[in-house]
Amino acid sequence: MLTRITLAALLGATLLPAQTIPDRPEKLTYKTLTFTPPKAKDHFVTLANGMSAYLLEDPTGQPLVTFRVLIKGGTYLDAPGKEGATHLMGEILDSSGTKTLNADQLSEKLETLAARVSSTINTTQGFLQMNLMEKDAQEGLELFRDLLTQPAFQQDRIDLVKKQMRQNIERRNDDTTSIERYQFGFLTLGENYYTNRQETAASLDAITREDLLALHARLLHPKNLILSVSGRFDRKAMIKTLNTTLGAIKPTAQAKLSEKIPTPDHQIKPGIYVCEKDVNQGRVSIALPGLRRSDPDWHAVTVMNFILGGDFTSRLVMKIRTEEGLAYNVQSSFSPGPFFRGDFRAAFQTKVRTVAYGTRLALAELERIRTAPVSDEELAMAKGALVDRFPSNFSSTAAVASMFAQEEYMADAPNYYATYRDKIQAITKADIQRVAQKYLTPEKAAILVVGGKAADLEEGDVKDHPGKLSEVAKLPVVKLPLRDPLTLKPLK
Amino acid sequence: MPITPGRGLVAALIAAAPLLAQTVPVKEHTLSNGMRLLMVERHDQPTVAAGWIVRAGSANEKPGMTGIAHLFEHMMFKGTKTLGTKDIKRDLELNDLQDKLRAEIRKEEDGLRRKQTLGEIVDMNDPKLRSERHQKLLTEFTKLVKEQQDLLVKGEFDTVFTKAGASATNAFTNTDVTYYHVTMPSNKLELWTWMESGRLLEPVFREFYAERDVVTEERRMRTDSTPTGKFEEALQAMIWTAHPYHWPVVGWASDVVSITREQANDFFATYYAPNNLTAVLVGDFKAEEAIPMCEKYFGRIPANPKGVPEVITLEPKQLAEKRMNAEAETTPQVQVWYKSVPTGHKDEPALQILSYVLNGNSGRLQKNLVLGQKVATAAGAFPYSRRYAGNLVLYGVAAEAQKPEEVEQALYREIEKIQKEGVPALELRKSKNQAQADSFRKVENNEALATQLAVADASGNLKNFLDLPNLLEAVTAADVQRVATTYLVKENRNVAVYTRKAESGPVDPELAKVPEKFRANAKAALAQFEKETDVAKLKQGLGEMEGQASQVPEPVKPLFEFLIKKLRERIAKLEAK
Repeated sequence: MLTRITLAALLGATLLPAQTIPDRPEKLTYKTLTFTPPKAKDHFVTLANGMSAYLLEDPTGQPLVTFRVLIKGGTYLDAPGKEGATHLMGEILDSSGTKTLNADQLSEKLETLAARVSSTINTTQGFLQMNLMEKDAQEGLELFRDLLTQPAFQQDRIDLVKKQMRQNIERRNDDTTSIERYQFGFLTLGENYYTNRQETAASLDAITREDLLALHARLLHPKNLILSVSGRFDRKAMIKTLNTTLGAIKPTAQAKLSEKIPTPDHQIKPGIYVCEKDVNQGRVSIALPGLRRSDPDWHAVTVMNFILGGDFTSRLVMKIRTEEGLAYNVQSSFSPGPFFRGDFRAAFQTKVRTVAYGTRLALAELERIRTAPVSDEELAMAKGALVDRFPSNFSSTAAVASMFAQEEYMADAPNYYATYRDKIQAITKADIQRVAQKYLTPEKAAILVVGGKAADLEEGDVKDHPGKLSEVAKLPVVKLPLRDPLTLKPLK
Repeated sequence: MPITPGRGLVAALIAAAPLLAQTVPVKEHTLSNGMRLLMVERHDQPTVAAGWIVRAGSANEKPGMTGIAHLFEHMMFKGTKTLGTKDIKRDLELNDLQDKLRAEIRKEEDGLRRKQTLGEIVDMNDPKLRSERHQKLLTEFTKLVKEQQDLLVKGEFDTVFTKAGASATNAFTNTDVTYYHVTMPSNKLELWTWMESGRLLEPVFREFYAERDVVTEERRMRTDSTPTGKFEEALQAMIWTAHPYHWPVVGWASDVVSITREQANDFFATYYAPNNLTAVLVGDFKAEEAIPMCEKYFGRIPANPKGVPEVITLEPKQLAEKRMNAEAETTPQVQVWYKSVPTGHKDEPALQILSYVLNGNSGRLQKNLVLGQKVATAAGAFPYSRRYAGNLVLYGVAAEAQKPEEVEQALYREIEKIQKEGVPALELRKSKNQAQADSFRKVENNEALATQLAVADASGNLKNFLDLPNLLEAVTAADVQRVATTYLVKENRNVAVYTRKAESGPVDPELAKVPEKFRANAKAALAQFEKETDVAKLKQGLGEMEGQASQVPEPVKPLFEFLIKKLRERIAKLEAK
């Protein structure tokens, strides 16, 4: 055995001399790769009732097909005192029965067909999705239509989902990740913005089956739905079938079109916010007001953030993780909106003792990218990565189909994908510094720390990296109470 | 063609006759040094999911250095002799100097560890406890680190990949394997072979000690600071008496901070040999070009003629049920971990079908525990078969006012039913339909397929993995009944019962007025009210309670008032309907 391996290795070595391997990766040469992204209009179909549909076939893929409907509606539809109703409807749409099948019969049928069905409604949009074998597509599609148009909202299923949602809200303070999420929401978008008016024990209790039926009727209009179909199917036959099913959906009398998503008017109140919890690691978030994807600054901000904290090779990661060993996860991002202002968030998690030091390092990186131009090398890498990774946005027909639907709904940045690579390539060092100065404004930051005791966080790393938390920025320190998980009111 | 109304279940089943997944067309090749290569060509998008796997994970570790397989995974991103430094000679010298200082620091740490053992100090890592010598050594050490940092080309291994448009550059370690993966633009496959063979040939584990700290933060993030992380870790330690699955992949906290670079070097030399590796490519490339390219780059890594040590320890047969009663900041719930079979075992497919029977919206656990008895708000089962051993896991989240132990008993009743009565043909068919569709779903995505092929091959299980759709289809009702009877027995189970840690959870403001010791009674009574739909009965109960209200002793009064209020609300609600 040994002889055989050695001999083979020798042969290999003779045939392929080692010197043909270059000593540096830059010396490798590559064939040019041209990638033309698929265009939405090539896949677009209007169904008989005016519903938009995007059909993406994958003839060489697995024998599966996915139907996905984007629902133009979100939790902003919740009436005061009924917070959680839209969310609940999203949870239950896939499983509460239809006019012809009760919930038990429905799940039996769907699972016998090995269909995977799911639904959800978040702050700005909802989905109903079904994936099943190509051969069962016709039968599946009719069930899918019934789920979408005539959900039974069977009372026992409502009761069950309410119980599950109640258990979820009871857990709001169990985990620092969850505490951080809600505190960050309140700090950035304010007490009264709808994304922060989430379900409470009382509002869950108040939701009735009639509320769900009314919400559903309000949304059911072909123009409130965008369909995407992906996987293995015959395009012509599919269009025909779609027109007799989803294309035959008529608007309800109560349907309302494209209701406006409220925009927030809250200004982030600068400060260092500390929320205590008895764990050995603090979660740090630095929040700043951001911009929408449609803003002319967006591409410069994208490149700037890539260099700052948007990638594993970024400055924040190199400093806080690689050099100092202070955190496993370090990152920064600008959320794209698109319906309301996106925000900047830089975040990491570190032991309680080094929260102050880590925050100081993070703020210093914000300052550095504001005050000095990035290097040629950094700019080249960011552009190279953003442009060459671009095809991964189109990695499957399902991803492309739902992206097209998404773009139609957002409608905020037409040609976003068509012009993306050129716009990224055009960004200069001066652009980066300009947007860094415009958006990374430490005096406007809300710095949130969740986890540890306030006194320990304040004391910092006395021995190795002295410096108090209150000294990391010229901002007031505010102690944030936990919220009562059932009411979301601050606890004393 | 609309479906005929009234088409029955049997007809639907015939229509749903299985379409067996075709075996994934994998090309297998072995390089001259023994490294294996698996390839699946798919030309629909211009990327290649590329990875290589080493047959070593935390099961290959020893006590005192647990977590080394995972720490090592981190170290593999630190560069090579060519990538990551401006001065390799000084870089290596600085590594040695740092190691020497660390050996001295370790002596200090050994002293502190002893003190912690004796209870003289609480935390040996508290900087305030360092001796003068300890602090001086650390200051010198920091100087060396600074000097090395000035020579570094920061994160060069990652930047080369990133600049080339590679995405998903990462790795994972589990108990059995370590997998390094990336998605490359299809014209840059050669860069992948250059990079990966380079770090296998001459890696440099620089920034070793900072990376230990990173892993410690990872542990704090995933295990220490989560509501159930430490309990999950303790549960695994309880399940596995002798087998190395006993310790966590991330390692015990005490070990991670004590691993030395020398130990890491040994681990590399032992396990990261080509004859212990498999590379996988899925995507837009040509096998006839990839094979010589892999031979050219990976083929230069010398084989390890000594071979790789096997994991010797076999878990002894479990003699008795083991239980853990955990009080944690979480919803009351139960997990039951039965010892079952490792992956590749002939009973694995039947255990998978059994899980399908239990799971899903129309599965037995949802139907009976969640919707029928309403004892749980969620329940499920999953098979978890690893290279050396496996589990079948049942779980359930207790409904309000239900005890997790009641959920546990309800889970057992479902298992007993299957043991006694087996599974009817239609239910078996439904489960197999789902299993078949899932076997198509599993291989849709290139990255996911590459990972599964790598893991299967590293577990010596590639043939079974590729043949799984057929193996699942061949499972009979008798097989399902037999595996339920064989493995799901009392002596084989490990039970974790979670109850909410007192005062950690939310209290209903009205319930808060009820003295703590009566709250459990109050909740139980509420659950009774919710179940009862007969208004007359509720009214009768209310009348009785109101009659007694004036006579109850003072401490019980708040409970009584609370219940009367809730009872009235319940009656009003029912009458409103």
